Amino acid sequence: MSVDLDQTPRSLLVCDRSSFLNEKNRISSQVEQLHFNYKVSLLLPECSSAPSHLDAVFNSFNSFYLIRNMPIYELLDKHFLKTAVYQGSVYGVSYRTRIDEDNCVALMPNGHLSLSLDKDSFELLGVEGKPSRFNHRTTCRYVVCVDLTDSSMAPGGRGYQRLLTGLRSRLQLKTDFLLSHHPGGGASLQDLLSRYDWSEHRPDVSSHTLTDLSCPALQSCDLQSCDPHSLLEWIGAVDAHISCENSSSSFLSSLVCPEPKTTVSRALSVSVCGLLLPQDVHRLIQQIRYYLEQPRLESWVSLTVHGFVDSPVSWRGNEHGVLRGGENFYSLLIFHDQTYQLHLATGAHDTCPP
Amino acid sequence: MSPADKKDKPADYQRVVLKNASPYHYMKVCLVLEDESTRLSAVDLKQFIISGLKSLYGEVGAALTFDLLKYDEDTLTAFLRVNSRGLVKLWSSLTLLGSYQNQACAFRVLQVSPFLLALTGNSRELQLD
Amino acid sequence: MSVFMDLNLSFTADKKLLQSVVETAAHLGFSTVAINYVFEPTAKKKQDIPSPTPINELIDQLPVVQGRSRPIRVLNRLTIVMSDSSHFRPNAAEYRCFDLLAVQPTTDKLFHAACMTYDVDIICISVTEKLPFFFKRAPVNGAVDRGVVFEVSYSAAIRDSTMRRYTIANAVSLMDTCKGKNVILSSAAEKPLELRGPYDITNLGLLFGLSDGDAKEAVSSTCRSVVLHAETRRTASGIISTMRSCSESSCQQEAPPAAADSEAPAAKRAKHQLPDD
Repeated sequence: MSVDLDQTPRSLLVCDRSSFLNEKNRISSQVEQLHFNYKVSLLLPECSSAPSHLDAVFNSFNSFYLIRNMPIYELLDKHFLKTAVYQGSVYGVSYRTRIDEDNCVALMPNGHLSLSLDKDSFELLGVEGKPSRFNHRTTCRYVVCVDLTDSSMAPGGRGYQRLLTGLRSRLQLKTDFLLSHHPGGGASLQDLLSRYDWSEHRPDVSSHTLTDLSCPALQSCDLQSCDPHSLLEWIGAVDAHISCENSSSSFLSSLVCPEPKTTVSRALSVSVCGLLLPQDVHRLIQQIRYYLEQPRLESWVSLTVHGFVDSPVSWRGNEHGVLRGGENFYSLLIFHDQTYQLHLATGAHDTCPP
Repeated sequence: MSPADKKDKPADYQRVVLKNASPYHYMKVCLVLEDESTRLSAVDLKQFIISGLKSLYGEVGAALTFDLLKYDEDTLTAFLRVNSRGLVKLWSSLTLLGSYQNQACAFRVLQVSPFLLALTGNSRELQLD
Repeated sequence: MSVFMDLNLSFTADKKLLQSVVETAAHLGFSTVAINYVFEPTAKKKQDIPSPTPINELIDQLPVVQGRSRPIRVLNRLTIVMSDSSHFRPNAAEYRCFDLLAVQPTTDKLFHAACMTYDVDIICISVTEKLPFFFKRAPVNGAVDRGVVFEVSYSAAIRDSTMRRYTIANAVSLMDTCKGKNVILSSAAEKPLELRGPYDITNLGLLFGLSDGDAKEAVSSTCRSVVLHAETRRTASGIISTMRSCSESSCQQEAPPAAADSEAPAAKRAKHQLPDD
């Protein structure tokens, strides 16, 4: 047989260790550069209910808006550009579209519009683009990326007209679209929303308490303390409510908590789902640091942020794709002495995270 | 396990890139049976999967170790963990399993990832209506 | 990559069963499926080529594709199982009722003819018996150049372990010859539980000797080429087809849409890429 059955598609895991006090730490840019976040989950050991300042952050995550069947040329609307794109940052990503099958669209906070199109649509649109990284034998997907804040894309300009006619009368691309705006919120988008079938959504917060949880004994900056994969596996197991109380001889499962381990009597796991802004994640990180400044029994907190699987872009606006799974997430472990461990993961053909 | 890129900044900045280093792959699967009232315990399910491995890959396949991390008897949904080298074999034997105790069945593989964390944060599950 | 397709769902007269198969396909994430009518002429008596039941009579409400807001697209397909060259009648009017046309040759000679000359979209590889002939490079390459694809179906491998051996053996020997080019994987399912999801099939493709990328194309892009190939085949045989194009004529690109649809069929453009790589 010509193919080795032992092989699996590529995966990448970047492990960063540093301190918030280190000038070279890039944590805020790493958080900012993943634009489209789907889920944030937090694990607080030795904690039964979240302190009010953390609770306040969870409940103040920005609302986002779903517009059904929106023609994409609406994103080039003069008024929308003036009130939303030029003022602050718009986060928009197509919903109910799959990046390995359909046409996908993302509007990034820096004003870049990214269209991931199949060959037919790309040829209909007639705007310059480049072949996707995810093509195999034939080139059947193209990426068109334009900067809406560039002078050539100003309303009335040549580039603007070309894209507008392309989207309005040739391609006529319509999709369900998720939108959010920082800092204006719904007010900045109202004009666009009012023309279509839309709904406002609050990020969905859920929390539950875990008792007698065995967890790895995490020491702040000891670099070789725990293998990153087994650490992430453990965090994932807690998130999915998978028990780690097994022995290596048990029939069903031999998943165990990484050594050395301790037991915490209770822990709180909180998760938020929706289209979440990096600014909100950043605010949450600041509050966690503040939370850790007070003396605690366990001196760490873990935060995981998942990106949208079908977003055409992941970190830094780099192209993102799906081969079998489109994971792009990071997991941040913050210690009381302001040090942190950051794990950034992507699948198949994505470029290396920042 | 190949740390492809290692930078040691004085005192406290370290970055390591691990490529294809994930020792395990994780699968979220759901068993669909013709007769929906059939009950399966976790042990039954694991035995059934082993029988599938054995019928496609023989004794060597049956010796492939995998873990049933979690199982919900009501929805017949399970989380599996398998050595990355065994993923293709486990997956293909699940695909080709077509009958359980003389009734038709099918495994629906809902998600596969080298990271267990990815299985709880799949944006394709976002329902807004 | 394009949308996932399963171009072979077996036709059955049981409307309810067929509906549930199509529903399951939509639920598993297939955006396009084809209902397959098998025609197996025998030497003894003359049989009529089946005519397809219109889709709207089979299915009242097309199910929505999983995770999307559009309904599934259903095509009709005819497969002729050939044991004699007279079984395939080029330009037969009956063939035109079908969106896709496939043949399953059972002898070396017929396989050669199907690859090199027959105006069909798909050549089926038998999965229920040991192949009665070897794949030779010349006809296989000829088919690849003409944009005809080979189909391996997997549901027989689920039903029976002997069939499973034939499926894998025949698929591997095909892949050895065609190097993973122009291959589609489909189900030939009769029941909903014989269908598998697109990513499962991609993984199964590895067992058949396809690479990760080729296996995924075998349920997506290659199927798209087949559908486009069929569209051009149907319009090239003397029927003029007109397509609605947009009124605004401000397109200055190398491929204006109106011209693209009528003069240089989309399938041709897509296929140009195949031989160069």
